[in-house]
Amino acid sequence: MRAPRRWLTSEFERRGISRREFMGFCTTMAAALALPSAAAAQIARAVGRAEKPILIWLEFQDCAGNTESFLRASRPTAAEVVLDVLSLDYHETVMAAAGEQSRANRDRTVAERPGGYIAVVEGSIPTGANGAYCTIGGESAIDIARKVCGNAAATIALGTCATFGGLPAAAPNPTGALGVADAVPGVGNLINLSACPANVENLTALIVHYLTFKRWPPLDHYRRPLFAYGKSIHDNCERRAHYDAGQYVEAWGDAGHRAGYCLYKMGCKGPVTFQNCPNVRWNGGTNWPIGCGHPCIGCAEPDFWDRMTPFYQHLMGVPGFGAGSNIDTIGGLAVLGVGAAFAGHGVIQIMKRAADKAEPVVPNGPAKGDA
Amino acid sequence: MARVVVDPVTRIEGHLRIEAEVDAGVVRDAWSSSTMFRGIELILKGRDPRDAWAFTQRICGVCTTVHAVASIRAVENAIGAAPPPNARLLRNLIIGAQAVQDHVIHFYHLHALDWVDIVSALAADPAKTSSLAQSISDWPLSSPTYFAGIRDRVKGFVDRGQLGPFANAYWGHPAYRLPPEANLMAVAHYLEALDWQREVIKMHAVLGGKNPHLQSFLVGGMATPVDPDSQAALNAGTIAELQRLVAKARDFVTRVYIPDLVAVASFYKDWAGHGRGVGNYLAYGEYPNDDSAAPALFLPRGVIRGRDLAAVEPFDPAKVTEYVAHSWYQYQQGDGAALHPYQGETSPAYTGPTPPYDLLGLDSDTDKKYSWLKSPRYDGLPMEVGPLARMLVAYASGHARVKALVGAVLTRLGVGPEALFSTLGRVAARGIETQVLAEKMADWVDGLAANMAAGDLRIHDNSKWDPASWPAEAMGAGFHEAPRGALGHWVSIRNGAIDNYQCVVPSTWNAGPRDAKGQRGPYEEALIGTPVADLGRPVEILRTVHSFDPCMACGVHVVDGRRREVAHVRVR
Amino acid sequence: MSALVRVYVWEVPVRVTHWLIVLSIAVLSVTGFYIGYPFVTVSGPAGRHFVMGWTKVIHMWAAWVFLGAVFVRIIWMFTGNKYAHWDKFIPVHRSRLRGCWPTIKFYLFALRKPPGFVGHNPVAGATYVLVFGLYFVAIATGLVLRGASAEVESPLRWFASWAPLFGGLQIARWIHHALLWLLVGFAVHHVYSSVLMSTIEANGTIESIFSGYKFVPPEDLQYSGYRFIDRKGQVDE
Repeated sequence: MRAPRRWLTSEFERRGISRREFMGFCTTMAAALALPSAAAAQIARAVGRAEKPILIWLEFQDCAGNTESFLRASRPTAAEVVLDVLSLDYHETVMAAAGEQSRANRDRTVAERPGGYIAVVEGSIPTGANGAYCTIGGESAIDIARKVCGNAAATIALGTCATFGGLPAAAPNPTGALGVADAVPGVGNLINLSACPANVENLTALIVHYLTFKRWPPLDHYRRPLFAYGKSIHDNCERRAHYDAGQYVEAWGDAGHRAGYCLYKMGCKGPVTFQNCPNVRWNGGTNWPIGCGHPCIGCAEPDFWDRMTPFYQHLMGVPGFGAGSNIDTIGGLAVLGVGAAFAGHGVIQIMKRAADKAEPVVPNGPAKGDA
Repeated sequence: MARVVVDPVTRIEGHLRIEAEVDAGVVRDAWSSSTMFRGIELILKGRDPRDAWAFTQRICGVCTTVHAVASIRAVENAIGAAPPPNARLLRNLIIGAQAVQDHVIHFYHLHALDWVDIVSALAADPAKTSSLAQSISDWPLSSPTYFAGIRDRVKGFVDRGQLGPFANAYWGHPAYRLPPEANLMAVAHYLEALDWQREVIKMHAVLGGKNPHLQSFLVGGMATPVDPDSQAALNAGTIAELQRLVAKARDFVTRVYIPDLVAVASFYKDWAGHGRGVGNYLAYGEYPNDDSAAPALFLPRGVIRGRDLAAVEPFDPAKVTEYVAHSWYQYQQGDGAALHPYQGETSPAYTGPTPPYDLLGLDSDTDKKYSWLKSPRYDGLPMEVGPLARMLVAYASGHARVKALVGAVLTRLGVGPEALFSTLGRVAARGIETQVLAEKMADWVDGLAANMAAGDLRIHDNSKWDPASWPAEAMGAGFHEAPRGALGHWVSIRNGAIDNYQCVVPSTWNAGPRDAKGQRGPYEEALIGTPVADLGRPVEILRTVHSFDPCMACGVHVVDGRRREVAHVRVR
Repeated sequence: MSALVRVYVWEVPVRVTHWLIVLSIAVLSVTGFYIGYPFVTVSGPAGRHFVMGWTKVIHMWAAWVFLGAVFVRIIWMFTGNKYAHWDKFIPVHRSRLRGCWPTIKFYLFALRKPPGFVGHNPVAGATYVLVFGLYFVAIATGLVLRGASAEVESPLRWFASWAPLFGGLQIARWIHHALLWLLVGFAVHHVYSSVLMSTIEANGTIESIFSGYKFVPPEDLQYSGYRFIDRKGQVDE
């Protein structure tokens, strides 16, 4: 039997969380969502009223990296999310129940609350070997995804594996791995939160957005929320001034590297990667990859394992010349080759003309037609 | 006789299925099956070896550093790169922080609910809980008011009617033996540890940009610049932050984790008699103390056979082999063969039931294949790896701090050293290791500070960065102690690209199926004899399996034979 | 040989767009190369320099000039004189189709003189189809990259949604960069061929792109490719 629903604010009071702290959380969320500060009050009302939304978190061909990311949530914390904000009815890595009982929790929610829960998918979905590359309780990942996502109010593909196929789908994609959009085509209200792993602050922001506005946020052409994927890493990077000035790290640990110069020449993919890493950063705003001196590897973009590699080169090599080949070296040599070929053509032409002058011939040459 | 199936085994990383044959309330036989496969080593072929760490890192997001470390070590070993001292210290700190944080998460969030009954905590008296807590530790969060707040919070959560992740578990099972007060204390620390892990792992964010999947690894060193005079590098402020986080880590481990472990264990001493396992232990050793090619290790390397602590053999990499007799792969020379990783080959060939299925259809002398894991063997023997193996090798090798702590814990529990070879022994060894590492990490921070003070700012061996500086053909191995045990990567490089890549992973050692001789893997062996009071709620099986800290995504991989056609394993 | 006739071949828009394209490609190539490989670096406070910044600003403006010139030239293919017409590029007429092989033979030294076409010869015209194709790809990938850094509400942002057509932004970037070398390679070929033609035919090919006038034998005006094509009176339309 379901206990009467309580106001979250009174819940907070009982827990000794003051209204001020709660408003602080709402202001942080408003900032994460790039909303004006007046929105904080609106969020507070929305979260305070909501019955905890039900979440079913599926793990397929995953590494649990997004789950770990979730455990690092700081605003709100994972404990707050699990106890107060959401009802996490199924999550293999977190839940107490196991085996048959755990699957029963999942299947009961799907059967009794169709359209009344949010599905989160972590990991890609293999289509090879009749689904045998990933089974849970004897059931294939694709069957579970169809069943759970097909009845969900919305599906959040969390992390690059679930959004775009990610690492398992990297060439030669041995298991026929796909992201949710491709594996379960037509799934309604699909929102992609790419990155490897996805930043948990964007997941919590997304859920609060939904609770507050009763709708999902505007998405980009890869179905990613604009509030988190609207700008490139490069355009928000703290090292951008060095990029524009012309100051680059040339070798690991050199003076420029120690001074925080731009990592562009070390292969940084920040200019072609969309995520709010520079703004939100990671682990409660502690740091982010470029902040610790390593280039962005483009983990939020489709097929980044194939397209953004080699990670330490600005551009990939030229097909047929090896992955490590340099497009400028090959391009420059090709132009030199073209120049040399024409120079040769010119020399022959000059010699021919010299011969013609020495022995004048009919100017029109060996005409086939009339002259 | 009854067949018990646990699938999914929850509170682990990845997808694990356990089938057990239970007779008269005791497990008579068991089969460990991994049900997910990705094929990452196949994906690595032909790529830049300097990129490999990022690929292998994604084998696992829980032990998110381990495959990156093993990978850069393997490539460095192949091309002859020599990382400078700062890189070694940064890596030691990252590896240490990973182990400490991961072990605590495992104890509280993955394993505790096998021993702790949350529902029972609702009946606890906060005042008695307070005196219990104060009797085992001077941790300040121990007042009656504090525990009353925790109890009310849990009660409020239960009253709200949405039990979420705590629904439908084995609450009230007779195997739960803690008094309500101990349960309430454990629940309080479950929540505290959730906050603590988020804070201490900021060490990874400081040193690696983010966690999970830190991003500061480089073949030949680390990407984190060191410069006391720069705000874009590790400087005195960072050192202070690291010292703060290391102290925070050590404080919680010493004053909460270890006292809790001893307190909980004292109620479950009979579990020192369950889950004995194969009795062979392998540790590669970890935490290099110097920068030579074969450095001295803080935790030693070695092999123990047949629970004989009197003799630690040196480890010989040539004795590592893998079987596929019961794994969903084929060998060209027949599935009975055992191949060294360098000669290893894999083509996935699923022969199990077509999903959906209920049972794998196994019996005690089955010749069926039933797992995506291979069966690694050392000198033909199954080996247990992990904290217990490391602590046993260190103990038997005379590691002073490990000996002292093991002795102290055994004395507190009133049991002899033979109690170590058990489910409870694994849990205790994990705690002891956490304590040893939490104490050691400060030394590495100090070492980093001393190098900075001496003006040594090197973080990378630039001489081997350009692939043009590599030999046309090179092979290398990288060994690492992951939180879950001995991890090895083997790489061969041809003309600057990966020709072959292989991982032999802790959870493959521990969770692998039977080999061609029918020898069970460590999980399977450890489950034999485990009591199961209620066939429908086999919490005892979870206890033993969880004591290994399964990490299935790590375990499943393709060992890709160098001469094998890629097309052969393309199933799509 | 009869006296040469002065013919107005290249109208003003053709010449202006030609030179704008030349200039913009030159600027785009130099700045583009720098953007791909910043070989000039500076020291001192970042606020005192804007090397990459200006390079990108120049690259962007040169790109708009290039885009405009290509656009005008395409309009002129439908509105200009017969030498500027689109069918001088895509060889749809029989006379131009038949002129292709002799022209190639000339380039391969099998003929002493090329067939007489007043404007572009058919092979050159077809080459420009390829070159315009490269222009389109360069413009499209450039717009994708520009759109990716546009504000969300900017109309330019729409071009970012083309990225999947090119396999994502990073591949779009690679294609864009590869085009630098292809167009530089074309420029080498183009300069050589015009010098060659100018010399062999002595018809003022080089001068014509400045003045607009070529000096051609009257037969070339009467019918094209007269030297090798049987059918008289077939004017190159």
